[in-house]
Amino acid sequence: MNKMHVYDMIVVGGGPGGYTAALYAARAGLDVVVLEKLSAGGQMALTEEIDNYPGFEAGIDGITLAEKMQQQAERFGAKTEYAQVERMDLSAVPKLLETSEGTFYARTVVLATGANPRELGIADEDALVGRGVAYCAACDGMRYRGKTVVVVGGGNSAAADALLLSRIAKQVILVHRRDTLRATKVYHEPLMQAENLEFRWNSTVAELLHEGKLTGVKLKDVKTGEETEIPCDGVFISVGRKPATELVRGQLELDKSGYVAADETTRTSLPGVYAVGDVRTKPLRQVVTAAADGATAVHMAEEFLSGGA
Amino acid sequence: MAAININQVQFQQMMKEGTPVLVEFWAPWCGYCRRIGPAYDKIAEEYGGQLTAAKINIDEEAALAEAEQIEVIPTLVLYRNGTAVDSIVNPDSKAAIGQFIQDALGR
Repeated sequence: MNKMHVYDMIVVGGGPGGYTAALYAARAGLDVVVLEKLSAGGQMALTEEIDNYPGFEAGIDGITLAEKMQQQAERFGAKTEYAQVERMDLSAVPKLLETSEGTFYARTVVLATGANPRELGIADEDALVGRGVAYCAACDGMRYRGKTVVVVGGGNSAAADALLLSRIAKQVILVHRRDTLRATKVYHEPLMQAENLEFRWNSTVAELLHEGKLTGVKLKDVKTGEETEIPCDGVFISVGRKPATELVRGQLELDKSGYVAADETTRTSLPGVYAVGDVRTKPLRQVVTAAADGATAVHMAEEFLSGGA
Repeated sequence: MAAININQVQFQQMMKEGTPVLVEFWAPWCGYCRRIGPAYDKIAEEYGGQLTAAKINIDEEAALAEAEQIEVIPTLVLYRNGTAVDSIVNPDSKAAIGQFIQDALGR
């Protein structure tokens, strides 16, 4: 399909950064395609309600917002291919992307691959995914109606997950390795008021207990070393995210934390390659900052395509 | 053609026909299921000559989902001659669904 077709721009990843780039590119008259492996939205698609993206005064669920972004970009001629990118050569001319749907070529590439949940990295974690271990309360929470769940983490996503689960599950136990939450203040009061929510401070999950599926967790007190077993039906792991950079490792400069090194211009260490949204170095990873990156990337790409920067 | 929503009666009818049937067990409240939607419709088009792609809402067809031992959604099951050949839970890409179909049809 389109074997020798060279796009002006290929966007890898269909989250808010990717589709905003596609929107701006299409409106600038560029021939642009978004390569998305499953569905528009990225991490946003798994967010139950987004209340901090301006313009939606009553909030909007992530997948609906994603579909709107996709449709808006497509209205101006952007295309979408449900393709899994397997290999990229970003130094080649034109740039080359091998995917499950064939090989694509482009003059510029916008990397919008986002980030994925970070794992705890303890024994049997992988094997128990879908059998008690989960990374997304909005997606998997409904399976735990009336049951007991543990949430691991102390940031905003852990706080949001614990709150959401407290409305579904019988009991929620929030496990955090420090003695206070890093979550934004807006979460504190509702968390303290949730009657079925219990905190386990200064604790980490040492072991996942299971018999076919998860039956409990073994917690370790980081101060005393004391271990306790807690029976539960599910454990939701919310300990941060890691950038999806596997495809560009060795090709693009990464920062210390593994994100693609790019400043506000979104320019990477290779000409004609831009990094937008959660995958790049930035102080705040939000839908609105990802969208802003998408617009900037197209501005920079236009300069590049016209022989400038 | 996009994937079609079917009920138990239609499911049992399809099981008697010669064409393999791919079923996605889903529910409206399932975020992962909504995400798969557009890619699944695309699969239905691309594999239209080889199989029928259907969807079963487990909230409306609870007995059927239980009989088919669906514990987690989305689960995709490929049936041939009335028998489940193989299944995949929560595929994370359209490519993964395609690979699953090719492997299952090749058995």
